[in-house]
Amino acid sequence: MAQIPNLDNAPLNLASLREQSQKDLLNILRNIRGNKCLIVDQKLSGSLSLIIKTSILKEYGVELRHLSSEPVQTECPKVVYLIRSQLNLVKLISAHIQNDISKGTQREYSVYFVPRRTVACEKIFEEEKVHHLLTIGEYPLYMIPLDEDVLSFELDLAYRDYLVDGDTSALWHIAKSIHKLEYSFGVIPNVRAKGKASARISEILTRMQVEEPVSTSDVGIPEINTLILLDREVDMVTPMCFQLTYEGLMDEILRVNNGSVELDASIMGNQQQEGKKTKVPLNSTDKLFKETRDLNFEVVVQVLRQKATDMRQDYKEIQTANQSVSELKDFVKKLNSLPEVTRHINLAQHLTTFTSKPSFSGKLDMEHTIVEGESYDICFEYIEEMIHKQEPIVNVLRLLVLFSVTNSGLPKKQFDYIRREFLHSYGFEHIATLCNLEKAGLFKKQEVKGNWLMIKRALNLIVEDTDTTNPNDIAYVFSGYAPLSIRLVQHAVRSGWDAFLMEYKILKIPATENIDPSTPVVRPIEEILKLLPGPHSEIKRGGYSSTPSFDTLPGAPASIDKVADGRRSLVLVVFVGGVTFAEISALRYLSAQEGMAYDLIVGTTKMVNGHSILETFLETNV
Amino acid sequence: LLWKESWELGKNPMASRGSPLHGPRIKLIEKTHSLFAETKEHTFESKAAEEHARLLRIQHELEVSTKQTIFVDSSVSDTIRTCIALGNHRAAMKVRSEFKVSEKRWYWLKAFALATKRDWDALEKF
Repeated sequence: MAQIPNLDNAPLNLASLREQSQKDLLNILRNIRGNKCLIVDQKLSGSLSLIIKTSILKEYGVELRHLSSEPVQTECPKVVYLIRSQLNLVKLISAHIQNDISKGTQREYSVYFVPRRTVACEKIFEEEKVHHLLTIGEYPLYMIPLDEDVLSFELDLAYRDYLVDGDTSALWHIAKSIHKLEYSFGVIPNVRAKGKASARISEILTRMQVEEPVSTSDVGIPEINTLILLDREVDMVTPMCFQLTYEGLMDEILRVNNGSVELDASIMGNQQQEGKKTKVPLNSTDKLFKETRDLNFEVVVQVLRQKATDMRQDYKEIQTANQSVSELKDFVKKLNSLPEVTRHINLAQHLTTFTSKPSFSGKLDMEHTIVEGESYDICFEYIEEMIHKQEPIVNVLRLLVLFSVTNSGLPKKQFDYIRREFLHSYGFEHIATLCNLEKAGLFKKQEVKGNWLMIKRALNLIVEDTDTTNPNDIAYVFSGYAPLSIRLVQHAVRSGWDAFLMEYKILKIPATENIDPSTPVVRPIEEILKLLPGPHSEIKRGGYSSTPSFDTLPGAPASIDKVADGRRSLVLVVFVGGVTFAEISALRYLSAQEGMAYDLIVGTTKMVNGHSILETFLETNV
Repeated sequence: LLWKESWELGKNPMASRGSPLHGPRIKLIEKTHSLFAETKEHTFESKAAEEHARLLRIQHELEVSTKQTIFVDSSVSDTIRTCIALGNHRAAMKVRSEFKVSEKRWYWLKAFALATKRDWDALEKF
């Protein structure tokens, strides 16, 4: 089965984006004549596999390699490097070339940076005295469609870079990506941002529009109606919680990477290949997966069981009675879905070996207690005990961060105590990790009284009696906790628009402006936004960025909302700092609701879960 | 001054990852300790650095006395556990008192260590 997801049902023409990236890459390769050795950096190769098949590359006379510290072994006289602009990678390449020189091998080298070259990288080539031997180019790959409704910018470290090191280049990257989208799909008329980084991005975006305007006449009606930018920082609670949807659980336990998981072949019922790894692609091309990926895992097991019994039923019928040809045809059709069913039964079975452990449910209970935020001491002791037992460091950090965020920090005495116990248990080198977390505001000293309880209540984040089978609220994805980030989106899309708009007017327009006094000035959603970290902004953009466009407010939204051909208009939600599968599931749930006027697509810097976020903060692995 | 601090902090993990030459490392960490001590808001970091240096010293001694290079670069808890597992209760107690390990953690560690050693009798006794 193809690993590249089928994008035909996408609400936006994402396939064209992918084709463009494919073409760009092939152009690069075509310009280098003859056989060549393409050396790709590890991280990129995963992304590339979502864009182009290796068989196509072979047609272009390409020998594919991974970049490593080993010198290149190849017969090809031409070597093409495809790397992200990272200094350590550049150094590796320099070492390769110097190695070749010392051996007297002559080759032609080209280096293509993804997505763009940087001064620092070229400087290193100069220092290593190999700059003159190279052809340097760019491969402008800014984003990759992961699925019909998910785009990834593949910036694993963006969140850390920005919060810890103050590196804002990722923000530029995101703005550039969105701007590129606008080239294909028109200028997005509404931009809403929440959080420091998001506000910056929306500024950069506006500037880009001024510098290199997308002309409205070329693209017609903008296909994307609204862009919502959301900082991960605004909601750090959600990613720290253990995801309970099928796809989310899979990610937590098996790690979904570039739309597939890798696991032992024996788990997939392939006994002969003991110990071998197989890759299982996971995207909506697989119909059964599309059906089940967003469901709570409990339900998935039921669905699969149902499928299996149905199938057995059909099989019996076929054996007993004489069937007409058309009935046989139906049966054969059903049989075709058999491999899908077996695959997911195997997967689900593997997952239940983890979820049935008592320690698993214990941890979930604790998470809920922390999120409810009402029994401080119990949580504190639980975490303390975890540290004493030296449980895996990331597990501890997850709960610790969750605990710290919901309490907006720990009182100084306990903060110091926990830190000391932590260092004693895991080693003093982790002081750098703690320092990173503190800088990012994830684990800190309490300065002001927390407002989590207020946020929780106002946004109705804890939903009692969630029915996981027939969900009536997004809270089903965490069996009772509704992700804060998605609640914000929900409010923003459903009822909060006006509140957002009102506030913008008050902030930006001088008092002389005529504001209807009967309109309630402050609405709840806005108050809540203020409780969360970072500023929020709201920009209306027309085709010409110079015209002040908010004076056309009352009429504009109504007319844009209804795109001529009756399709629902599109909202692009971008998570700056990563998004979890569970959150995407919740968004899909929202957009499937009746009376929802929008299709939602998701942009993210990276698919994340609590583990992968925190790992970027661990100092020892860097 | 803060600049210097964060720079020094960067050096700290680098040093721990580095060479097995203990002498210069301990000195470096001690320097970190004094640098942190110069400012008010970094008392915690300063104390941690100081403890780190102390730990390395003890671990070094332990390695010399047991002739096994398994101590350096493990955490306080790990050190205690290894001591108990090796049956060296005196050393474990010493580390414990040196770092004022709390009652709770101590019993967890002891239970774990004895269990790994399968010393059920001792486990029963305490």
